[in-house]
Amino acid sequence: MSINEIIHNQIFSILPPNIVTVLGRIPVSRAASITEIRLRVDKPLLLVLGTEDFMISLEGRLIQDAQYACFCTQEDIGRTFQLICRNSIYALEQELKMGFITVKGGHRIGLAGQAIMKDGELKAIKNISSLNIRLAREVKGCCDLVLPYIINGEKKVWSTLIISPPRCGKTTILRDLIRTLSTRSSSFKGVQIGVVDERSEIAACLNGVPTVDLGVRVDVLDGCPKSEGMLILIRSMSPQVIATDELGRQEDAYAVREALNAGISVIATVHGQDVDEVANRPYVGELVKGRFFERYIILSDSPTIGTIKEIIEVKTGDSLYLHRQGVKACG
Amino acid sequence: MWLKMLGGIIIIASGTSIGFLYANRCCERPRQIRQIISCIGSLKSYISYVSLPLAEALINCTNGTCGAVKELFQKTATILKGNGWMTPQEALQQAISETHDLVLEKPEIEVLVVFGANLGSTSRDEQTNYLDMVQEQLAKIECDALKLRDQNSKMYRYLGVCGGLAVVIVLI
Repeated sequence: MSINEIIHNQIFSILPPNIVTVLGRIPVSRAASITEIRLRVDKPLLLVLGTEDFMISLEGRLIQDAQYACFCTQEDIGRTFQLICRNSIYALEQELKMGFITVKGGHRIGLAGQAIMKDGELKAIKNISSLNIRLAREVKGCCDLVLPYIINGEKKVWSTLIISPPRCGKTTILRDLIRTLSTRSSSFKGVQIGVVDERSEIAACLNGVPTVDLGVRVDVLDGCPKSEGMLILIRSMSPQVIATDELGRQEDAYAVREALNAGISVIATVHGQDVDEVANRPYVGELVKGRFFERYIILSDSPTIGTIKEIIEVKTGDSLYLHRQGVKACG
Repeated sequence: MWLKMLGGIIIIASGTSIGFLYANRCCERPRQIRQIISCIGSLKSYISYVSLPLAEALINCTNGTCGAVKELFQKTATILKGNGWMTPQEALQQAISETHDLVLEKPEIEVLVVFGANLGSTSRDEQTNYLDMVQEQLAKIECDALKLRDQNSKMYRYLGVCGGLAVVIVLI
């Protein structure tokens, strides 16, 4: 599905008609590069195309001058929130606590507003004042460059940590890796993969069934916390590879170690600029210092989103692949 | 003579039918309230345990129910699915006005409108508490409706038959 089809079929259905009308006027060629749609109360409607943001005029032109921009009202945000929630806030309790909701198609909608606290913990967010709709896109083949570096023979996959700052395509590349590794090819037999999709971003499940192509050997545990999910999958589905997104908590690190010690390869992502930065983070840093993974893939948004900056073999510290200023230096 | 007899029979039959119709409404009302209470109980499970979105939960909670109450819940779900702008309260009000076989009266309709007002807009625990409260209110109304049924259903039947006979006697 092209990004224009995604916007028309999946995003327009959660936006109020006045915003749909304005977005519908954007030229197709420009709309294809939209990565984020940001709505803020009494502020201009903002679109992020690649790494640059634009306002949008009522005629659908991308501009930088707020004077001519289309503004969002409290009502627009309220209506969008109502459409996203489908009158079922109780069903999104956990997501609201984490500050985002994932909608059909795997698009993540970040929320900001007034926090409601209970016993020192965030209970919910009320008076929503900002929404950030991040478009998920399926880019088949985006992991082709990485693939030879993370498979070992016909059946084995190296445990891999994908390190990337936000908005550099780590979930997109993880999704494509899962699809490719779970599919039999001439050089690879395909492995059983268990996916713990805590935020419903990887598989974009609808009623528990993935709506994106993840290949034929994939079991998805949707909406389950990573730490619990990994242990459940190890016990119940006997996967050869476990894939999950955005490691961070202490329990996540523990579950990764459990999986690795059980002889299962883990492919996970983490926020960070490089290995040193991740090593300094609590819990996940211990996984790096303890060299639990076998490969690191570092992503960057320069020159484009999804650029593979470096692939490192952890055991030797060798750089298997290095990308400098658009030129592949080795590998 | 034959015409008079035929007319008399028709009048008596009509009176009896009207009487039985009212008596049936008397019997049907507590039955429908009971069905609504049971659907809300089921809805509570779909909300608190399964966390199903409201429209799906409203459809699923009618499993095992039939008739006007099933139609009411399913219509509400269809309206909500078809029109994302509508609040559950508006959808429920529209469904009530479109479900003609409902024999509900003002007290239970008022409770249903209140039921729609906060539906889906709070956390699971709060939804459970709220639905418990709605169930209690409906249970009280059901008790009153049962008393009314016992008092009135026989009366309506007799009234229908006797009314028909009275009209025939007056006309003769």
